[in-house]
Amino acid sequence: MADRKDVSPPHIRLIAKLEAIGTVTEAEKAALARLPFRLRSFAENADLVRQGDAPPECCLIVEGFVCRYKLLGEGQRQIMSFHLPGDIPDLQSLHLNVMDHSVSALTPVTAAFIPHDSMHALTREHPGITALFWRDTLIDAAIFREWLAGVGRRTAKTRIAHAICEVYLKLRAVDLASDGGFELPITQVELADALGLSPVHVNRVVQELRAEGLIASKGRFVTISDWERLKAVGDFDPTYLHLRNVAA
Amino acid sequence: MNFRFLPVLVAAGDDGEGRLAFCDDKLVAVLVRLSAVHGQAAGRWFLEAAFGRLAGPTHPTFASLDEAQAWIEAEVAAQSLL
Repeated sequence: MADRKDVSPPHIRLIAKLEAIGTVTEAEKAALARLPFRLRSFAENADLVRQGDAPPECCLIVEGFVCRYKLLGEGQRQIMSFHLPGDIPDLQSLHLNVMDHSVSALTPVTAAFIPHDSMHALTREHPGITALFWRDTLIDAAIFREWLAGVGRRTAKTRIAHAICEVYLKLRAVDLASDGGFELPITQVELADALGLSPVHVNRVVQELRAEGLIASKGRFVTISDWERLKAVGDFDPTYLHLRNVAA
Repeated sequence: MNFRFLPVLVAAGDDGEGRLAFCDDKLVAVLVRLSAVHGQAAGRWFLEAAFGRLAGPTHPTFASLDEAQAWIEAEVAAQSLL
């Protein structure tokens, strides 16, 4: 976009996200920048959308991090994906009316709620944007396949190293990670719920990755000390993320 | 139900001190005492592995072995009714 000073933060996030996975023309950027929205703030652990809801709008993450999850018997939770600023984690609600899972804030979150009517009009008028949203849902599916392979067949250590690699590259794709370092918004308990492990196992493995010099961390700030070895331990091939311009 | 613990060393990183838990002479669980690397959870007993009726995705921690025993016995008893 030639001049971005008039573009609001939600639109900037969305355009950056779509540019990370494909080409966005100037006309498409202008159309995206006209999408109406209302901003809402959420505290950590608050639900943005709940399983069973039939929302009339989609939520675009502007600040903070969210996850998609399901609650299971005996108070157990399975986290199915992590989402960053620029993502629309309930994009599916455009075409699947009832939410089959919930979306929750992992950190304090600002989200822009965009009416479905506006999204439908946008996708009718701009087939290129429709294709980008389609591509995004296909990449989501690719990530689910990768996670399924991990939960089914990878060791705890490989799963955790893989998850760190994935979050790092996704953050870098939208300029939210510097070379080798990033704010990891995910606690060990959340990582456990995502990877089908106990928090105790996650903690043991994180200590191991630290001791082996693969990662370092201070509070929530994680530094990747040895990217090549971390990728090797995590059996990580970034192809499934289908990101452009990310040297991995 | 006859219950007993047997001390054991477990290869689980820094968490080495463990107990085998037997119900009616069958091994149902392995508990491990959490070391200092686990912060607030240090000193608690972690259900490292469970067998038979206790097997599954649930891996709680317990403040004491008594608490662990009570949980294991209750789980085994509850599921015996099925």
